[in-house]
Amino acid sequence: MTDVADRADSRADQGTDDELIRRWKSGEQRAATLLVGRHADSVARFVTSLGVRDDVEDVVQDTFVRAFASIDGFRGESRLRTWLFTIARRLVLDARRSERWRGEQVEVQDGDARTDFDPLDAMVADEAERRMHGAVARLTPTQRQVFGLRVGEGMSYREIADAVGTTEGAARVHYHNAMRAIKELLDD
Amino acid sequence: MTDCPDGAVRDLLPELVNDRLAPDVRRRVDAHVRDCADCQQEVELLRALRASLRRVSVMDVGTIVSAIPAYRAPRRSWGGWRAAAAIMLLAVGGTSVAVLQRENTAARDGGVSAVAPSGRGTSPIAQPSRAPTLPAIQHPAPELALGNPAIDELNDRELATLLAELETLEAFPSPDEDRSADLVVPSPAGTD
Repeated sequence: MTDVADRADSRADQGTDDELIRRWKSGEQRAATLLVGRHADSVARFVTSLGVRDDVEDVVQDTFVRAFASIDGFRGESRLRTWLFTIARRLVLDARRSERWRGEQVEVQDGDARTDFDPLDAMVADEAERRMHGAVARLTPTQRQVFGLRVGEGMSYREIADAVGTTEGAARVHYHNAMRAIKELLDD
Repeated sequence: MTDCPDGAVRDLLPELVNDRLAPDVRRRVDAHVRDCADCQQEVELLRALRASLRRVSVMDVGTIVSAIPAYRAPRRSWGGWRAAAAIMLLAVGGTSVAVLQRENTAARDGGVSAVAPSGRGTSPIAQPSRAPTLPAIQHPAPELALGNPAIDELNDRELATLLAELETLEAFPSPDEDRSADLVVPSPAGTD
């Protein structure tokens, strides 16, 4: 793990994702470092929202390796981050399907009322923030994914639909249901 | 906490706290939020939730980057060229066959009939319309000439006999003849 302060480079100085991709393809390794630094935490948060517990870093690394290996397949029709989320989600689903992680991962379904996943409980000292984490953790997996992408990443419903594999309308409904549930839990 | 009745604006609040609104939309939403206590509360909550959601682990960029292989430009695929060449070859071949068939048809309708009178022959070779196979146009004479390597070994008398026999052949089947009835479709076993 590195400190957030290590990545204080100005985004404007780094260039857009497309520019960095071009620079990496022309042999500039630092461009890959900038791209990973820009998106790794978001991918990690998304992977976490998928219910992955212990192998978040492995999944994130696999996501970037896969993405860079097939970078010519990225047409720029979506944001790079959305594309990375799509790859990460596919990796997680494939791993679950192949049963490689069976026993280590919790197979989460939308029917589950809550999950016991909250890795930050120990770190969160503030009671209000702990309650917020508790409220988010009680969302269904899909609600949590959509809510995390909408509130944590500021993604549009269209982008969320692409990343999560649902429709724009469904993403909107999941977000509003999640928001309502969180408000109710926090008001209790 | 109550919800603002303006659902359209409320729907944009997550993008507001993530600074992802277009400038004109942002001005409109900001103006609404300034006068709306419900939206102010929701924006406050969303900011807190965003900070909380984004406080998850920080990834080790160096480790990830070290696992990324160097870029390799996609290989030039010759498979596509091969396929294109094959398609071109088929197209040229198909065109040639079509042209030849057209020429044959024209010849049948015109001068060939003068060369090859339409008298019915007696040789089995001269019964193309009765062949139990597909009604393809048959060219018995060229086949005889080209397909028999021993034709050069015939003496004059044998050649004269062969030519006389050829004279009796119908050069081409009549183009007007409906030959679909000639097709012999094998019946499935046990149905006859």
